[in-house]
Amino acid sequence: MSGVSAPPPHSAHTVAVLLDDALVTLNRAFGVLRRRNVPIEGLALHPSGTAGVSRLTFVLKADPLTADRVAQQLHKMIGVRSVMVLANDDSSTEAKR
Amino acid sequence: MSEMLSGAAILCRALVDAGVEVIFGYPGGAIMPFYHALPDHPRLRHILVRHEQAAAHAADGYARASGRVGVCVATSGPGATNLVTGLAAAYMDSSPVVAITGQVSRPMIGRDAFQETDIVGITLPITKQNYLVEDVTDLADIVAEAMAIAVDGRPGPVLIDVPKDVQNQKIEWRGAQASGAASHRDPRAGARGQSLTPGASPGSLEDGVRAAARLIAGAERPLLMVGHGVILSEAYAEVRTLAEKTGIPVITTLLGISAFPDGHPLHLGMPGMHGEVHVNRAIQNADVIVGIGLRFDDRVTGNTASFAPQARIVHIDLDRAEIGKNVPVAVGIVGDARDITRRLVAAVEPRRCERWVEHIRGFVRTRTESYRGDLSPEAILASIYEASHGDCTIVTDVGQHQMWVAKLYPYQRPNTHITSGGLGAMGFAVPAAMGVHLARPAGTVWAISGDGGFQMNMAEMATMVQEGLPVKMAVFNNGYLGMVRQWQQFFHEKRYSCTPIWSPDYVKLAEAYSIPGYRVKEASELADVVGRANAEPGPALVEFLIEQEANVYPMIPPGGSLSEPIEAEPAAAAGD
Ligand SMILES: Cc1ncc(C[n+]2csc(CCOP(=O)(O)OP(=O)(O)O)c2C)c(N)n1
Repeated sequence: MSGVSAPPPHSAHTVAVLLDDALVTLNRAFGVLRRRNVPIEGLALHPSGTAGVSRLTFVLKADPLTADRVAQQLHKMIGVRSVMVLANDDSSTEAKR
Repeated sequence: MSEMLSGAAILCRALVDAGVEVIFGYPGGAIMPFYHALPDHPRLRHILVRHEQAAAHAADGYARASGRVGVCVATSGPGATNLVTGLAAAYMDSSPVVAITGQVSRPMIGRDAFQETDIVGITLPITKQNYLVEDVTDLADIVAEAMAIAVDGRPGPVLIDVPKDVQNQKIEWRGAQASGAASHRDPRAGARGQSLTPGASPGSLEDGVRAAARLIAGAERPLLMVGHGVILSEAYAEVRTLAEKTGIPVITTLLGISAFPDGHPLHLGMPGMHGEVHVNRAIQNADVIVGIGLRFDDRVTGNTASFAPQARIVHIDLDRAEIGKNVPVAVGIVGDARDITRRLVAAVEPRRCERWVEHIRGFVRTRTESYRGDLSPEAILASIYEASHGDCTIVTDVGQHQMWVAKLYPYQRPNTHITSGGLGAMGFAVPAAMGVHLARPAGTVWAISGDGGFQMNMAEMATMVQEGLPVKMAVFNNGYLGMVRQWQQFFHEKRYSCTPIWSPDYVKLAEAYSIPGYRVKEASELADVVGRANAEPGPALVEFLIEQEANVYPMIPPGGSLSEPIEAEPAAAAGD
């Protein structure tokens, strides 16, 4: 198809989120992913070591812009404390506040 | 001194403590304990609406007009679901609303009990935060936190779902601080995630402002685009100073209207789908655009691939997630519109843009439409402006009339234009105007609707009468769902499928509600009738029988480029 630029390459990004250990907060976080229909490959929820705070880690397949938007969207949620995006090439960015 | 208080009484006290004065609501089984406690708290004025959707829109209107949290209350199940449209509207337009819903008792939750709906789940994507109160000892803190979250940072709605047995539970009450506040429920724990801290770090904020000032200094064809954020942060004086110091012309988005005086020589108007040709051409020719407190919505940009192709964009927004979301930016600055604009004013050198402004003036088109009985939207709006001496708040519904008001009403005072922009919810105007009146009891408020949207929430006339809310209602009656009919005319071979809409006799309808009702057919009647309606001490309804197939011009086709407006009926449609 001429004139249509190729979509940016999708790659794996590991996203690590520190958030309140409330189900409603988790649900909200998944809502961000569900709404954009971002494919998720791996998913883990663990205690963070701080009382009341969980660590949510997942791998999403997306272009870097989408991964960044997801991180920004997660980051502004009430109850989310921090968001780290680790690209498959091992570079990492922290969602800025 | 401690006393035994029910959850319902605690809820009322917490609302009073938060400074709430007005609640819009509707009772029902699961919220009855709250309604039982309410009369003991005369500081809380309750407005009994006719549909919970109206409660949410009214709370939204109150919030937008006052800058304070608007509160609405509903019962579980259908009461709660009826709030959804209003909460979505508040969410899309960043309006601070707190909704309190009754819920079935805790032991019944999850058992499909009578009038049980998972309203927390339903409203997750349209609220900033929401709570199911599981422990009465948390209730007061949750209310305080919800009120704070609703207004903190980028405002938005918050929902609190309170099971009936929690409302009935009695606890020893020693005041809000003494109750068992869960520490992670510190309001600022939430606020931390809200990009409240401007800029990624203090250094980069200054860098951003300097970079923006440099872009402005080097620009030949700069524009300011201001949105709702300017109204939310009350950055009117700062934006005006920035415009006047630099001579940069100003574009106001639909929700930015009235953030900048309409008659100001630097004011260009509204951009986007129904923006004037000269406004959109200015965007397409600009080399620098400074956007303040807007999200570059698709109704503003048209096809983003062809939006402002020559412009480097400076985007100032409180919500970091907005920056770069819809359009690529050269400089993004996260922060309060007022604070950042003030810094920008200090950083820019005085300059003029006379040749550019002159250039834009060359794009201006004169309007040529004609209207039956000369009853043009301009004439109607001018009569409202004159009758109210330019001092009223206009609340619009959704459709053609909304666009005419946005383009033609000469707003002078800040935050006097209120509309459902992001959600575009028909039925918004009438209930939202009730909220506006309660926020600005000394002022006049006009709710302007089409015959379609008015019929969605016209039952609220009963609320106005019962509660003494003197809202002036204007119905632009064209016999059609006008905006949809226009799309059918332009894009669907003039097939007017299901858009002709019958109306009752509005004068008789008003009479049935014991409200003065008027019908205007000719422009010559305008001054007299609108003047009388405006002077009514109570609510009043004026129906304007307008041209049935008038269109809103120009129009950018959905997904089209700002460079290619439709300025007259498309030839294909005109032929038959
Ligand atoms: C709740 C809702 N339903 C449907 C629509 C789609 N819609 C947008 S404009 C419009 C027509 C509005 O007609 P009317 O209220 O008569 O106003 P007019 O366009 O004629 O001024 C419709 C149906 C909407 N925006 N909101």
